[in-house]
Amino acid sequence: MSCTVSSIRASSTRRTIIATVKPQDAIAPIVAPAAVGDTDLIDEVDLAPVRTYWQLVRRRFLRHRMAVISLVILAVLIAYAVLVPLLTGDLYKDPSLRQVWDPPSFPDAPLGYDEIGQNEFVRLAKATQTSLMVGFAAVLIIAGLGSLVGAISGYVGGATDNILMRFVDIVLTLPVLFLILMIVGFFGQGNVWVVIIAIGITGWTLAARLIRGEFLMLREMDFVAAAKALGAGHRRIIFRHMLPPATGPLIVACAIGVADAVVIEAALSFLGFGISPPEASLGNMLTNAQTYFVRAPLMVIWPGIILVLMVISASFLGDGLRDALDPRQRIDVK
Amino acid sequence: MFQYMVRRLLQAIPILIGVSIIVFLIVYAAPGDPTDRFRTPRVPPEQIEALIRAYGLDKPLPEQYLAWVTTFFQVWRPEAWGYSFQDGLPVLQKVMSRMPATFLLMGVSLIITVVLAIPIGVLAAVRQYSWTDKIITTTATIGYALPSFLLGTYVLWLGGVLLKQWTGGAIGFPLFGMESLSKRGDPLDVAWHMVLPITALVILGVAAWSRYMRSSMLDVLHQDYVRTARAKGLPRRKVLYKHALRNALIPIVTLLGLSIPTLIAGAAITESIFTWPGLGSMYIEAVRILDYPVILALVMLTGVFVIMGNLLADVMYGLVDPRIKY
Repeated sequence: MSCTVSSIRASSTRRTIIATVKPQDAIAPIVAPAAVGDTDLIDEVDLAPVRTYWQLVRRRFLRHRMAVISLVILAVLIAYAVLVPLLTGDLYKDPSLRQVWDPPSFPDAPLGYDEIGQNEFVRLAKATQTSLMVGFAAVLIIAGLGSLVGAISGYVGGATDNILMRFVDIVLTLPVLFLILMIVGFFGQGNVWVVIIAIGITGWTLAARLIRGEFLMLREMDFVAAAKALGAGHRRIIFRHMLPPATGPLIVACAIGVADAVVIEAALSFLGFGISPPEASLGNMLTNAQTYFVRAPLMVIWPGIILVLMVISASFLGDGLRDALDPRQRIDVK
Repeated sequence: MFQYMVRRLLQAIPILIGVSIIVFLIVYAAPGDPTDRFRTPRVPPEQIEALIRAYGLDKPLPEQYLAWVTTFFQVWRPEAWGYSFQDGLPVLQKVMSRMPATFLLMGVSLIITVVLAIPIGVLAAVRQYSWTDKIITTTATIGYALPSFLLGTYVLWLGGVLLKQWTGGAIGFPLFGMESLSKRGDPLDVAWHMVLPITALVILGVAAWSRYMRSSMLDVLHQDYVRTARAKGLPRRKVLYKHALRNALIPIVTLLGLSIPTLIAGAAITESIFTWPGLGSMYIEAVRILDYPVILALVMLTGVFVIMGNLLADVMYGLVDPRIKY
């Protein structure tokens, strides 16, 4: 009976319990008499518990040291970006003439005050929040547009595929930074939503290509043919049968997308097209700090460190997730 | 080969048309029109309407597009790209006058980048998993993640401000521009101004290129013919440099072709930080004052360069790799 218990322990969802317990229950009465007094045989069965896909993903991910460290760093940054502005409200844009250039003090202002007496630590938190918000919002557009175009292209194929892929070629030919600058310049400088949409509608091509590739492969798979034979509609086949196995590449494209979007937003704000003071952005904090290179050199360092940490962790996280989500890497895990 | 090039050039035409349509539509959808800057109380409405007719802004959209795109490609006419809103000069002339500065900066930094990145990448690949490799790969990863505006700011700060402080004002690189007002046309002075922007560009470039070089070299080193060459007793150096390196350079040559468009668009932010008078900083200035003709011209020009770069990459690939047949 011990083998059944261990399979229940190893599986987390109800569906797998049913799937794993049933055959073993059927076999158990036949095997058990032969194995009386010889517990080694049962132990050997115990050593290979059934694991669900997500358990395997977790194990593979945890073995990727840099990805785990990146996840922790990102979690800390997100906590910083969410909690500090939540607790301090509008303090990030409150100037105070009495505190101009005040040195760091604990616990109120660990990074001191800037040239108009704004609390640097709080302002940095708000800027991180802006960056993450732009990054995630832009990635929603990228993932949405990318999987829409990619799924249609890969699922329908033929002339539709050809036309959509030529369109992707055209978008890839356009210089991304120039295009984003142009859209932001024309449709509203300093508007965070214009920045998000500009990043989104110029950055979906990688996601579209990855999803298309997966769909072209999945379309020929037996389980899709089976679903079709059972009378499933196009929508059911796409959303229920083809999109779930294609999430791996999509998540990787999203990780790259977040990193790119964060950098582009910061660059736009740095050049004066994105978010402008008194609102806080890593880019405009850096522009501001440039004026005070000599007076307050650390003001140049902090936004840079946060930005680089975000970009590096997002890309390592993407690497880790790509390896972890790839179902073909099952053999790797003991 | 010739046939292949002609076919590729013909394939590029629809893409170029698509690019021009998208760019045109974005400008068309933008709020306001080119007469906005004349709409002051002192200009009578009849004159504005006359301007709208003169610019052809009252015509239907397809007609406007055709009129623009057909003039745009007549580059032998000085007015083909229109006149800048900023100073009324022909855009073609403005772009041409800015081009040498960009080509100089990007050309020199690309050469330095490649010359540094190839040995670094090879070293990391040959000593895979050693400390040398780990240091190189980690540094390259960090460099790869550095946004260009951040690196530019830091280089400016270290080389322009801190260095001057530390050396008591003895050494300090210029913070902006391409030449000093008192020494116009002096090549040494231009070179002095180039040091900081080139440093920034080379750091970014080497981070990326050494990674490509390392993985390309590793691919080759794991192939059977390299093992065979070693097994039959050839010296290690000869195997590395004669057999492996030459094949590892093939993808790098392709990348060179693909980096042609960055000669124009790649360094807009770096140029802007160091106020280098090139095309990239010109673009950013144009967006700042909504100088439509300049914006349109530079986006289209970059699109053309991207297409040409792709074509060049394919052709060079065929030239350096005899296995490729067209």
